[in-house]
Amino acid sequence: MAMRHLITGQGNCAPDGASSSNPLGNFANALLGQSSKAQSIKELPGAAVNVPSTSELGTADPLSTIPGSENEFKQHQLPFARGADFIRGSPAEDWIQSFRPPGLPEFAGPEAHFKEFDQIYNNTGATFGPALDGPPQRVLSGVLHSFLESGRAGVPFQPVPVPALGLSESDKQCIRDRSCIMARHILADQPEEYIQAQVNTLLHSLDIDSDYRMKGPLHGPFPEMEEYWNQSQSAMRSAPMHNAADKWITEFGQQNNNPENWALSFEQQYGPNGWASEFEQHQSQMAMMGGTNMANLAAMEQSRMLAQTLASNNDPKFQNSKFFQFVSKMSRGELIIEDNEVKQGSASQSSGWADEFQTQYSANANSWADQFVHEEISQGADKWASEFSSEHNQGGLNENWIDEFSKLHVGDEWAEEFGGGAFGESSADPWVDEFQNQLSASKQNSGASRGVYVFSDMNPYVGHPNPMQEGQELFHKGLLSEAVLALEAEVLKNPDNAEGWRLLGITHAENDDDQQAIAAMMRAQEANPTNLEVLLALGVSHTNELEQGEALRYLHRWLQNHPKYGGIAPPQTADTLYGPDVIRLFNEAAQMSPEDADVHIVLGVLYNLSREYDKAIASFKTALQLKPKDYSLWNKLGATQANSIQSADAILAYQQALDLKPNYVRAWANMGISYANQGLYEDSIRYYVRAVSMNPKADNAWQYLRISLSNASRADMIAACDSRNLDVLQKEFPL
Amino acid sequence: MPVFKAPAPGFSVRFSPFHEQRLLAAASQHFGLVGNGHLLVLDLAAAGPGGAPAPLFAFPTSDALFDCAWSESHESLCAAASGDGSVRLFDVALPPAQNPVRLFREHAREVHGLDWNPVRRDAFLSASWDDTLKLWSPDRPASVRTFRGHEYCVYAAAWSARHPDVFASASGDRTARVWDVREPAPTLVIPAHDHEVLSLDWDKYDPSILATGSVDKSIRVWDVRSPRAPLTQLAGHGYAVKRVRFSPHRQGMLMSCSYDMTVCMWDYRKEDALLVRYGHHTEFVAGIDMSVLVEGLLASTGWDEMIYVWPFGSDPRAM
Repeated sequence: MAMRHLITGQGNCAPDGASSSNPLGNFANALLGQSSKAQSIKELPGAAVNVPSTSELGTADPLSTIPGSENEFKQHQLPFARGADFIRGSPAEDWIQSFRPPGLPEFAGPEAHFKEFDQIYNNTGATFGPALDGPPQRVLSGVLHSFLESGRAGVPFQPVPVPALGLSESDKQCIRDRSCIMARHILADQPEEYIQAQVNTLLHSLDIDSDYRMKGPLHGPFPEMEEYWNQSQSAMRSAPMHNAADKWITEFGQQNNNPENWALSFEQQYGPNGWASEFEQHQSQMAMMGGTNMANLAAMEQSRMLAQTLASNNDPKFQNSKFFQFVSKMSRGELIIEDNEVKQGSASQSSGWADEFQTQYSANANSWADQFVHEEISQGADKWASEFSSEHNQGGLNENWIDEFSKLHVGDEWAEEFGGGAFGESSADPWVDEFQNQLSASKQNSGASRGVYVFSDMNPYVGHPNPMQEGQELFHKGLLSEAVLALEAEVLKNPDNAEGWRLLGITHAENDDDQQAIAAMMRAQEANPTNLEVLLALGVSHTNELEQGEALRYLHRWLQNHPKYGGIAPPQTADTLYGPDVIRLFNEAAQMSPEDADVHIVLGVLYNLSREYDKAIASFKTALQLKPKDYSLWNKLGATQANSIQSADAILAYQQALDLKPNYVRAWANMGISYANQGLYEDSIRYYVRAVSMNPKADNAWQYLRISLSNASRADMIAACDSRNLDVLQKEFPL
Repeated sequence: MPVFKAPAPGFSVRFSPFHEQRLLAAASQHFGLVGNGHLLVLDLAAAGPGGAPAPLFAFPTSDALFDCAWSESHESLCAAASGDGSVRLFDVALPPAQNPVRLFREHAREVHGLDWNPVRRDAFLSASWDDTLKLWSPDRPASVRTFRGHEYCVYAAAWSARHPDVFASASGDRTARVWDVREPAPTLVIPAHDHEVLSLDWDKYDPSILATGSVDKSIRVWDVRSPRAPLTQLAGHGYAVKRVRFSPHRQGMLMSCSYDMTVCMWDYRKEDALLVRYGHHTEFVAGIDMSVLVEGLLASTGWDEMIYVWPFGSDPRAM
């Protein structure tokens, strides 16, 4: 049955016309629905334009960089970060992500098929397509039509041992049933049709074959039970129940008849000599993939539903819920269930749907035979480099597969069918829309509630044995977006780890996200109210956000809590602090110990607040004499100089910062600002492009880039900017 | 009062009916979706302010555990409801190697609820997602009876506190059913809610009063003598009500927990029925209990892997 669906694209067993039971159909829908992708990505992040008047002060000393690692980072961070952002951007990818590697096929003779399959891959000398490096939008929108013909990069194919991704039948049933039942408990607010259509149909009608297989052995030892079960099944079939249960049970009843006669029914449908048989082999491979994968897929579908519902809850308790994180990860395929264990999936390291697909196929190709012998999953975060390279190789597999597929002339057919036919109207599209709406709504909501830390909804580091250390290392390497994830995992694990929150805040600040930086620093302060570094960072971030009162409050508190200067600062009496008063106190402190760079740094920030830029520059320069290696200090000096219309000087300062820390996203963006301020828009564009390619989530930088593009009369590139097409931009504006 | 960290998300807690300082807990990895279960026996007395001690007894199981129950007849015997459809009996006085002392594999699907008969103490019930309930005796190798009638998952069973042969069951078919083990079919079917019924319990003082908790977020209190309409409905939970439990000491008082991450205390006979709302858990609360031996002593566990024990009227987090 599954095979028939794969060929014809018709969901014969879907009980209602509203939903597709065809995995590829859904896949196609998801892909074809991608034309609106650019918008959805653009809308998600907070759209506020913050003028970065200064950059963050970090007490940067302990966070020195590791020489050499930055270069490495530049090459690798790009696909990573973009992948993560991209995945977050749209629900359709989540769905595609759920095309996880299959377990053992249900069908007879898998080894034979598989050898063939294997050969196909090996012979064609795989090449690597543009998927990894290509912008996600292009990959998606053109995937079924133009991607087949798209050019290939010449990466030689090397068989890479791919983790065996098997899921026992009982596990699959377990996950499917449990998450299904749980979803009904939690999704009670949704209309019944919604739950039914989205959960039950997708879940149960997809998982036809394995479902039946499951029931047999379980009931075997208890004939009495089995009899009862069958009775109840048939009874329910004839007399539908009044609640959600009836649907899947009915479906199940229908499906019961088929799988055993799977081949037979196929033959009946198409005749032994039809075109179908020609492709039988191929199709059965696909069916294998589909059939065994469905439960996993469906489980993710379930999880995503949960995640979605939970995400729409504004309660920060829900937002920070570990369960929420878990289901989010499940729904994105970052967790794979294997042998009753949850393991980290490869989705976390990948950059898009293509990888998912590839992993799946290469898992087939390379390790079918071994799959159940040595079940190893190698997705340690520490292996990211090797993971990454292996994904490159898998890219080749994907190309081959698609190529093979297109030779069979089925690809276009079914694609078209889904594109224009009934399935275009099927549940996938409304669902995608709805999810997008909810997603953007929840993002807006969470953005609106200031000071609430918003966790990434996909985090491969949850469950990592030592996310703190990992986060520190990633930070030092300059993998800021990755470091954020690791540190988030740490503070999820240890919510009272002030240092974890502080470093998370600093990472966000360096990554040009002051809102999150503030939220993280506030948590750090909660955990340790007197930490000077935290207070200083909060003061700086609030300065960046032009929130003078808050900034003064934290900087004043810094003084109060300082062992040396605590005596100077009177206990805070009034609710609002007067800027000049605070400056006076810090000048006293500076007189007490003129060798304390921190005091001069705070003074510089305070003068920025009062827009006394000359004094601010003097303070920072004094501090730099004491701390010449502080890259964030150079950045602050540059930002201040830029604000005081000394943009040429600012560029020198930024250059110092970048010499000390080449992957300092904020400094790259600031450099662009300085060039733009001097009217050198073409130059500014190059720096902005560098900044956004290092952190595609740097929304401010994207905004600046757009402005510079229009100022430079490069309207031709604005579309690329709007769609965040880094490939095009980098090619056009190399640095 | 003691706070324990469970090795996995908690699903159930039960005070021992024999030792006031003993607590049984069931926990399951990965929120019960897949992975191992853990059965724990905790010593409340050993928990000082310095932190929680190791459990008296800890036994990992191959599949998730959704519920647990102490034997009413033997102080060290307890039962666990497993996701693999089995019901396991443990003697916590024996070393793990000799456990489980019984392994009943009859249910075709996840076993989600257990209740030990407090009157006829050699009997207990299991409620399963295979739509049935089964009656067991620790001394018999197979179930005594299977109760069929529910049309969807049965989530919970509760023995009447008075009548040794009477129990009630809560099911996803939106009904609560009252059974007499001597009768072949349910003696009463209450279409209790418009959504799935996840839990129920009998009033320990009035044998005709039954409370049901549902996915519709409400708790309804029923008089089985006039089951056409609920006596009252308790609204206040923001998500599905996972468990309800009547106080063994105070008539009319009941405890509930919910997917809204809170634990609530109610007096259904009062106009303002909600007495307290506890927000100490940071994930769904899945298990609650009230001690029979120590009046007012409460326990809860949730998917935040925490187990709290506290006296009614105090803050669960106050150590």
